[in-house]
Amino acid sequence: MKAGRTLKTLLLACVATVGLTVAGQAAEQDWGSFPGYTLKVKLVGGTQYEKLYTRIPEWEKATGAKVQIVSSENYFDLDREIKQDIASGSVNWCVGSNHTSFAPQYGKFYIDLKPYISEDILSEYVPSAIRNSTVNGQLVQLPRVTDISNIYYNELVYDNPDVKARYKAKFGKDLAPPTTFDEYKQQAIFLSAPPNLYGTAFPGKDEGLTGRFMEILRANGGDMFDAQMNPTFNSKAGVDALQFFVDLYKAKAVPAGTINYTWDDIGQSFAAGTLALDIDWPGFAAFFNNPKTSKIAGHVGLALAPIGEAGKRGGWSGSHSFSVTAACDNKKAAVSFVEFMTDYDSEMMEARAGNLPTRTKVFADVEAEFKQQHNDYMANMFSIWQASLADARTPPLIPEWIDVSNVIWPAIQSAVLGQKTAQQALDDAAAKAKQIVQDQSDN
Amino acid sequence: MAETIEDGISLEGRISYPVRESRLRRFFRLGHAAPYILVLPSLFIVTFVVAIPLVISLWSSFTPYNLVRPWTLYHYIGFRNYLRLFNSSDFWWAFGRTVVFLTVALNLEMLLGLGLALLVNKITAGKRAVRTIMMFPMMFSPILVGFQFKYIFNDNVGLINNALTSLGFMHYPIAWLVNAILAPLTILIAETWMSTSVFAILLLAGLLALPSEPLEAAKVDGCNAWQAFRHITLPFLMPFIYIAMTIRSLDVARAYDMVKIMTDGGPAQRTELLWTLIARTGYEDARMGMANAMGYVSILLSIAVTVYFYRKLMAARSYMGGAE
Repeated sequence: MKAGRTLKTLLLACVATVGLTVAGQAAEQDWGSFPGYTLKVKLVGGTQYEKLYTRIPEWEKATGAKVQIVSSENYFDLDREIKQDIASGSVNWCVGSNHTSFAPQYGKFYIDLKPYISEDILSEYVPSAIRNSTVNGQLVQLPRVTDISNIYYNELVYDNPDVKARYKAKFGKDLAPPTTFDEYKQQAIFLSAPPNLYGTAFPGKDEGLTGRFMEILRANGGDMFDAQMNPTFNSKAGVDALQFFVDLYKAKAVPAGTINYTWDDIGQSFAAGTLALDIDWPGFAAFFNNPKTSKIAGHVGLALAPIGEAGKRGGWSGSHSFSVTAACDNKKAAVSFVEFMTDYDSEMMEARAGNLPTRTKVFADVEAEFKQQHNDYMANMFSIWQASLADARTPPLIPEWIDVSNVIWPAIQSAVLGQKTAQQALDDAAAKAKQIVQDQSDN
Repeated sequence: MAETIEDGISLEGRISYPVRESRLRRFFRLGHAAPYILVLPSLFIVTFVVAIPLVISLWSSFTPYNLVRPWTLYHYIGFRNYLRLFNSSDFWWAFGRTVVFLTVALNLEMLLGLGLALLVNKITAGKRAVRTIMMFPMMFSPILVGFQFKYIFNDNVGLINNALTSLGFMHYPIAWLVNAILAPLTILIAETWMSTSVFAILLLAGLLALPSEPLEAAKVDGCNAWQAFRHITLPFLMPFIYIAMTIRSLDVARAYDMVKIMTDGGPAQRTELLWTLIARTGYEDARMGMANAMGYVSILLSIAVTVYFYRKLMAARSYMGGAE
């Protein structure tokens, strides 16, 4: 009798647990009801971003709303368009693609999402991604993908017995992926055999160049600004960081055209097998290892980013995200949409494509999934890149970041091309950056 | 006199008191207003499309106007933007480069366009087909032309370097888009490829309108081909050349997209032109006040070029006895 009662209690408990789980899932999947409402959105375009948008019909079905994409452009054109919208004061759309580098400049154009999203849900995101999406205490964006760079190396070069022997003879140690920036430079110069093989390449312009410089500067123990927002990137740590680029360029360890290269140019070069080393984003992992797009598929090695003079990593990081405008006429629908676009299923979709997800659980799940598919390369990528997130740091989250970046990268270029010394170039850029920050505080 | 007084007689023949008609009513009654009324719509449009934006942008050049902080449009800072510009070596280098680029590009395009037009004019069969083919580069958007030439001049996978390497002319790639001399040159080549046909088409129209009598008379008088070209064809074509020059000098800023794609003004500002500098300042940096100040200084360049070509056009017309 007692046993029967216990069994009954157990059964009831099981039923209750299953019921609660189902109810929990149902609650998780309740995206609200907005029948007849048309949500206008401005989303970043491009193959790597648009796959996620195939989920939009699911949200439409769940909520009864319609999504109208009023603009789909690359980040820079979208940024330009949004600035024009802010200037004209004519904002009739609700959701926009955003990025941690762009977000601070938009001020109060986007709302703080914290009051709209429960703590439980926010706790499912990677804490550093949420922290980096917060500007002046306001969560102005919900991250969809996080970026941080690590080393890709060409195993055809690194496993070549002749190269290995020559390296050991010259430096007295085995050839292995570099662990410091000095070693990275040394190997890049050693391995370079132009025009068929270069040691490495770096983005030669725009925020890409400023960001890579900032990464090494921070790894060397320096930073962009001090607490009073005085530029400090022209410190010794900064000069050493810039010298890294100058030395690589002078030694012809990078293609001469690297000073004009963007991410795509570098990615194409590495996939073509003309680079031995590349510090790059996670989004390239699948591309590099795909026989249809890469000549070195199956021979791509992965390693953590090098450390600098200060014994740490720079960890330049940022997140692609979604934001909701303050002028939105249905903020609940808009928030529901951005939550949906960054929910577990959306993040799994991003991760399967090789992007770094922003939900903690997805890292473990996608790694397990790749292992199950015997894709150790991608599983390893997620393991390494997740580890590197411990060092993740965004550029300064200040409105004038892009302006400051736009005075730094031409200065770096002028030093790399030998027009100025590293110190002179950085001093000039620091003077301009100081004026930009001063102007911002004056207005 | 502010008002007019008119005497009037009523229908019943009674003498009426003098009626004062306003100047405005008389203006309308006599039909003097018609031309002004007809012009009003266009004045209205010009005011809204040209004058108001010009005034606002001029005003904004005296403010720290930032696109993402609209309230800065009302913060007057006097000539600060202009003073900074006059002390900015980056701006004056870009200004100088733009002047050189304009001068070289326009003259080169004119010479090549003239040569092309003279050649096409000599064709006896298939002239229409050749004319159409000649217009192909004009049909490409500058962005496409930018990508096309960026690829052609790419140091690593570019067509030219690969060809030179394969033919054994070089062993180390030439950095076409980086070198201080070659980078502006590649942009010049792309711009010339894209726009020479504009000159060719306009000058071909001039050649087709050229009367044959003076050339036949010159031949009878014993002129050789060069003398006929130098003293008859060229003077006749000069108005067409100046019109083409004026149009192209105003239109040449279309090259912005091309430069943006090929080098974005770099590296180290080696190919920075006013257009790339102004666009970056105004949109990427959002400092529209400063960008407008740059725009107003560079307008002086446009006005100077236009006035110069207009005067030349007038002189050429007088020379060939054209209507004033």
